[in-house]
Order: sequence, then C-alpha cells, then structure tokens
Amino acid sequence: MAGMEIDTVENLQRKQSTYQSLDETFVIQNETYRGQQYSQIYFARLHMMRTLLYSLVTHWKPHVPVCTVLGLEEGKECIIVGTLYKHMKLKPCILDEYSKERSAVPLVKHHNFMHPDDHLVLEDESGRVKLGGTVLSPSVYVTGVVVALHGKETGAGDFMVLDVLEAGLAPQIEPQLKSREDKYVVFISGVSAGSSSSNPLQFQLLVDHITGHLGDEKEQGIVAEIVHVVIAGNSVEIPLGLLNGQNLASKDQSRLSEPVQELDILLTQVYLWISCQDPMIQRTFLYLNRAYNTFRSCTNPHCFELDGVRILGTSGQNIDDLKKYSEGRDGLEFMERTLKWRHLAPTTPNTLGCYPFTDRDPFLIESCPHVYFVGNQDKYGTRILKGSEGQLVRLISIPKFCDTGMVVVLNLRNLECHTLSFETQFSS
Amino acid sequence: MATTPSNMKGFYRLKKNRSGITKPTSSKKSSLHLVRSLGSDITQLTALISHGSPDLKDYHDNHEELMRQFDMNMAYGPCLGMSRLARWERAQRLGLNPPIGFEGLLKAEKPLAVVGCTTAADLNQMLFLT
Repeated sequence: MAGMEIDTVENLQRKQSTYQSLDETFVIQNETYRGQQYSQIYFARLHMMRTLLYSLVTHWKPHVPVCTVLGLEEGKECIIVGTLYKHMKLKPCILDEYSKERSAVPLVKHHNFMHPDDHLVLEDESGRVKLGGTVLSPSVYVTGVVVALHGKETGAGDFMVLDVLEAGLAPQIEPQLKSREDKYVVFISGVSAGSSSSNPLQFQLLVDHITGHLGDEKEQGIVAEIVHVVIAGNSVEIPLGLLNGQNLASKDQSRLSEPVQELDILLTQVYLWISCQDPMIQRTFLYLNRAYNTFRSCTNPHCFELDGVRILGTSGQNIDDLKKYSEGRDGLEFMERTLKWRHLAPTTPNTLGCYPFTDRDPFLIESCPHVYFVGNQDKYGTRILKGSEGQLVRLISIPKFCDTGMVVVLNLRNLECHTLSFETQFSS
Repeated sequence: MATTPSNMKGFYRLKKNRSGITKPTSSKKSSLHLVRSLGSDITQLTALISHGSPDLKDYHDNHEELMRQFDMNMAYGPCLGMSRLARWERAQRLGLNPPIGFEGLLKAEKPLAVVGCTTAADLNQMLFLT
C-alpha cells in the first residue's frame, strides 16, 4: 500500500486488512436472457424458503399438520407456507392508463401507496387464498415475503390466521478477528457529482482528509487506520433531460461526462481499497481508476469480508421500495425486517427491478452478516440487532452526502460507528 | 400452413397414449431431420408433425414423451424460457431429485435440448388436442 508523505522524517503507513469479495451470486455471468419471465425467480425463492420454513415449523408447532393451499379443509387447523401477495388499491398499474373510466383528478404520485383496504393473499404452486384475521398486518408485510401461517379456513373461503412464523435471522459465522487494533471502514453514499445540490468542495475535503492531507500528525495517525472505503451508490447524477434517447450534441456530451471525470480524478487520489456500487460507473466510465487494483466495481447488493467481518449492503433501493409499500418507524426498522425475512429485497421483481434469474434468487440471505448497510437514506441511523441464536448485526443507514455532508465510519474491532461531517459554509 | 380437405381427417385422428401426454406423430424422422438442418425452433417441429397421420412409435418418440412429462411436472418449477438441461440442473441443485437418466439423454441430444423445452405455443397445441 502507498505510504503518505508528510513533513517529518517518519512515513505513516496505512493499515491493511484482508479483503474478500462474496459477490459471485449477484453477478450475471453465465446467464443469457432467453425471454424467461419472473416465475423462475419466484419458484427458486419459494422453494428455498419453504424448505427452510418446513424445518423450523417442526419446532414451532409440532402437532399441527402442514398442508398446501389446495389441501385446505374448512375448519381444520393447519400450517401453510407460501409467498405473500399484497393487494393494494393505490398501487400504480399500467392498465390504469388504458382504463375507460378516467377520473377527472390527475394521478398524483404518492410517496406511499398504502390504503386501509389493502389485504394479503398467500400463494403457492397449488393456488392462493385470501388471508383474514388481525394477526397479520398488511401494513407491515409486502408482496414477495415467504412465511409460514398457522390458521384455518373459514366458511367464506378465507384463511383465518392465528399465528405467523418468519424465517428469522440467518445463522451467523463467528468473526475471526485477526487483530485487536482499530481499523476503520468509511461508508459514503449519494455524492451526486453533477447535480445542482452537490458541492464538489465537500467531496474534495473528504478525499483530502482520507488521504491524510489535512490535519496534524495525530489526525493523520487516525486516518492511517482507515483500511477501506465503500461508495454505496448515487455517486453521479446525470441531468435527466440528457437521457432521452437522442444523439447528444458535443456540448451535452461534456455535461454528461464532466461530473464523472471529476469523480474519477478525485478517486485516484485515494490510495485505498474502494468498493463502488454504482451501475452507471461500472466499467464504462472510471477509466483512470480502473488501472488501480485498489478500486473495485461491485454489484448492488454488495457482500464482502474484511478481516473475517462479513459486511452486506445495498445502495438503498430495497429499503426505499419498502417505504413505498409498507409502514415502519424508520429505515432501520425496514432493514431489520429484511434480515428477519431473510431476503434483501422482497419486493423484487414486483415493484423493484431485477434480472430474471432462472436458477436461483440471489437476494436470499443465507448467512447473517455482521454489518448491514443501506445507502442514500435521508438521515444517519445505527443500532445493534440481536438475533434469537446470539447473532449480532450492526445496522447502518448511510445518509446522502450531497444533502448532509456526512459519511459513516465503522470500527472493525468492535463494530462501533460514528459519523464524519464536512462543512464548507461558515456561519457568521 | 393451409390444410386441404383430404388432410383434415388425418389432422384430427390422434392416438391417445395411455401413459400420459402425447402429441400427434407422423413421419417424425424426416421432420426432425428437416428441423435440424434448418436450425429452426421446436414450435415449427410441432406444426410440421401435426399435419401428418399418426402412426409410428420410434426411439425419438419415447424420449420426447419422457421429456414432455418432465416439462409438465410442476415439482421442478416453471418450464418456459429455459432449456431442459438448465431446468434439470436447477432441479438437481435445489434437491428435487429429478430423474437421473435424463442428464445423459439431454446431453446426448444436445441440439434439441439446448433449443428449449416445451414452449408456450406447444402447450397451447397440446392442451387443445388432447
């Protein structure tokens, strides 16, 4: 690793850590699109989750029989396992555009599509059944979650739910901490270079700080303990008007590429491992940085291990989608739910786009991470989540850098978190 | 393809196989040969065959029969949009115990297996005629 030049005789060396990427399952490598539909990914999801839930159900309620939706009998208590579907009145539907009964009120974009009339339906290969009762709240769940339900069929043909079993946190591997010293990971998200709200000076300050060009020896000593930087999405904002499918004039071309080039130049100064989760940036743009083996384009979601600590995260779309279709206290609560449902993005492919995988559902969480981060959130938040089998997860909600000037710093030794703020305005 | 009146009897005369799903067969060898050399897809194959007279039961027919039963088996998931071999491998990986002999069959019959399993057009045909 490159050392940093400072004015004293001694050179400060940056600490190092072992990095291992675990992104293979997210990469679309040997897949070829054959016109398949999303039924394949739902099948893979249902099968994997059902196998898991069947094994948990035997400990949960051993004396209640398990059956499929088609095998339901009226009045007989049983357990069914399937995928939830939430019927939402306000969910935008493409068919609304062709509806003959166009209302005079224009379609307003809601930030949340919930309605008191929303109801849940459980579905497996054999059929679907409407869910009733008060145990399962439609405001908490979304389409795509696989659960086990204990209840019975009513005369009306609904399934009255008495109890629900979620998969819970996945098993966690003990982190093998190789050293007892402090090593830090910096999480940045939402730099939005090129947007009107971004301040290039703020990002330059951040880069200067991380590379040890600011502060005294003590400051630089602290900075030398940063071993990794994660850029969780939205690094660049392309003006929407430019991407309308027509050929760009040369003036517009530079408008498109300038912010990316600026970002590129800034990032070359950072002699650190960088994981970058931006689909726009991947491979096509950051020419200068591609030459460095310390720069790594990653998938979204991104999973990796640093010194044995497993870190998993996304650039925020999974949580943002949950916010639109369900209700929760804060971003951290949605994050907790995804871990308990063992699925990073249950609303894919229903309302959140993903590739139609045929042989697997890559968003299933098979091993519980030690750190779970989500980018591009409105505010910073963090807490420790404890699992029923002793799992401990540090949840981190990374705020947008262009709005808050904040980045999050995680200590790998004890999984403690704090923020770093960069301000360029001075209050008089 | 237009059918002449003399062909109509032949078109509808089907032999129902007791063992399950079938499709109208004809001088299958020549049709298959034609399809392979043209490199066209399996929907054309069905269309070609359905206009012939039902008759021969040969080696290919038996295999095709087994393949279709494999395609239709819901336990292995949806069959549209993926090759039979890929679907078999997925079933294997998910622990669904697909028939073991199949892998050999599919790899031996590579050209057809790669083209794909029962397509939507095929399904329509089969459901209508049987």
